[in-house]
Amino acid sequence: MSAAGPAGATGHVAGERHRRLRIAALWIASLIFVGYVTAPLVWLVSSSFQSEREITSKPPHWIPHEPTVQNFAAIFAAPKKDVTYETRRAADPASGGFIPSTAANLLPAMANSLIVAISVVILNLLVAIPAAYALAKIRFRGRDASIYAILTTRVIPDIALVVPFFLFIRNLGLLDTLASLIITYLAVTVPFSVFILTNYFEGLPDELDKAARVDGCSRLQTLLHVYVPLSLPAIVAVILFAFLASWNEFLLALMFTQTPNSQTLPIIVASFTSDFTISFSFINAAGVLAIIPPVLIALLFERYLVSGLTAGAVKG
Amino acid sequence: MASIRFDKVGKRYANGFVAIENLDLEIRDREFLVLLGPSGCGKSTTLNMIAGLEEVTSGKLCFGDQLVNDIPPDRRDVAMVFQSYALYPHKTVYENIAFGLRMRRTPQAEVDARVRSAAQKLAITHLLDRRPSQLSGGQRQRVALGRAMVRRPAVFLMDEPLSNLDAALRISMRAEIKQLHEEMQTTFVYVTHDQAEALTLADRIVVMNDGAIEQIGTPHDIYEKPATIFVASFLGAPPINTLDGEIGGASGRPVFRCGDVALALPPAIAAPTGSKATLGLRAEDVTLDPKAQDDVAIDGVVNSILPIGSDQFIGMKVAGREFFFRLAKDQACAIGDRVRLAALTNRLHVFDAASGRSLAGG
Repeated sequence: MSAAGPAGATGHVAGERHRRLRIAALWIASLIFVGYVTAPLVWLVSSSFQSEREITSKPPHWIPHEPTVQNFAAIFAAPKKDVTYETRRAADPASGGFIPSTAANLLPAMANSLIVAISVVILNLLVAIPAAYALAKIRFRGRDASIYAILTTRVIPDIALVVPFFLFIRNLGLLDTLASLIITYLAVTVPFSVFILTNYFEGLPDELDKAARVDGCSRLQTLLHVYVPLSLPAIVAVILFAFLASWNEFLLALMFTQTPNSQTLPIIVASFTSDFTISFSFINAAGVLAIIPPVLIALLFERYLVSGLTAGAVKG
Repeated sequence: MASIRFDKVGKRYANGFVAIENLDLEIRDREFLVLLGPSGCGKSTTLNMIAGLEEVTSGKLCFGDQLVNDIPPDRRDVAMVFQSYALYPHKTVYENIAFGLRMRRTPQAEVDARVRSAAQKLAITHLLDRRPSQLSGGQRQRVALGRAMVRRPAVFLMDEPLSNLDAALRISMRAEIKQLHEEMQTTFVYVTHDQAEALTLADRIVVMNDGAIEQIGTPHDIYEKPATIFVASFLGAPPINTLDGEIGGASGRPVFRCGDVALALPPAIAAPTGSKATLGLRAEDVTLDPKAQDDVAIDGVVNSILPIGSDQFIGMKVAGREFFFRLAKDQACAIGDRVRLAALTNRLHVFDAASGRSLAGG
């Protein structure tokens, strides 16, 4: 410590120590959080490559000692196998090779989920982008009322909508079809998509709209040439939100689907737990397949993800 | 044909707010018309109605002989420059300028030729590959001008295009806009609240207030013969000095009286003796003259002196009001001096106190 500025130097040392402590605390907190988020995922992936016996070993193996792809093989083989009481009994859950009775439905359900989710995403964009543009940039009579009406639909919990939705779907004759899911998921997701995009569009200057229209754009061209390219982060947020909401949705799917014709992934995966014998390794392998599409989408749009997820909250 | 006619045009917003009422205005072909007024006077609304960006809610708006009330902006052949420039942030300068042409399906060779010639004229050729975020305010302004120029529109609209520039740039851009008008030989409608811009650029100025036109005239008329007290006080820096009093008559010549001020008025002032009136006296319309006649004299004690380089402003109380006068800087006076000024009586403006309209004959 120098005689010239003892007070300053002490302050400096204390400040430095304080700063290091802060950084250390931040690191620890971040690591705990990352562990909290990733541990179940790591276990899901790890256990999907383990046999049923290894899964239930104590202590659990974070890294498989005898890695195997038999669970995945079973999933892809399931449609070809005839699952009967006898064949199931012959397979030993402990050694693997055990297949739930509904296993053959897994891949078709995944296809159903993809069809539903992609349709919901596309229809969401087709409806929400023009709607949000109109709400954000056109001053028409009833505009405020429309915004509130749209937002109000989001304060009703989905479970309250199940019965009206069911009656509606039944009267349309759409029970046990993918259309029933697409329609109801749209009802649930579109208001939120409109909300995100309206906020984002409102943050873009009105003069851009005017400039484009004077430059010769119709309303639709203004939207396509100016607003859509400038709103990619918000649009990506909408894509992710609509995709994940449809991909994960369980309640409505449980109500409206009855056969593998229209059952989605969450319904089939859930059905694996209601079998006579439960194969955790098989379920986890199915879980790994189930998270691949959302992960791919997230990687695809990673560039826009961070700015997009805050788009609804922060204007401009 | 690019003359524009407003025939009893009104604009009422959905919430009931009336922005424009009964607007009658004829904008001539190839004219440089400036809409001047304080914010909220309806000048931007008027401009937006010409562009088609705001709906006309009553009356008729015609381009030449064609009624355009319901024609959308993309089919009006107008170009517009905005205060915020409104460049497309995701497009390069080249694409910003070319956008209007592309929307009209102009062949690529022609687009390229026009963009490059406009860029050259505006000295922004080296910026064509940049994006708006990489440009300075002045450069953005040029790009916005270029975007409007290449379209070769019948009507060129500008909404306070220079307000966001710094003072020096504003003056040089003014000259460029004036030159652009000469070159393009097209109708310009320019909105501003800056009187200096209006006076330097306009062929004619329309002074607006509260959604109505106060006066239409050449810059000279607007400044020298203001039709209303509003116009008189909106133009001029410092603002015109005003005094409320009444008209008296002495030996056939009208006189304005207020307290100890009594000024002979030009004979053309048409108002009965005893009527209430407001006098307007511009800062520069006096001279320092200790021997001035009583009926042109203004007496007072100098209470502030503001030199502005070429001239000086002096402040003094006249009949209870703070007045500012502009004097040549060699006319020496000091704070506390009692001075006598001679008003140039033929440049006095007198307005009816109730209506605010000029009492000048004719």
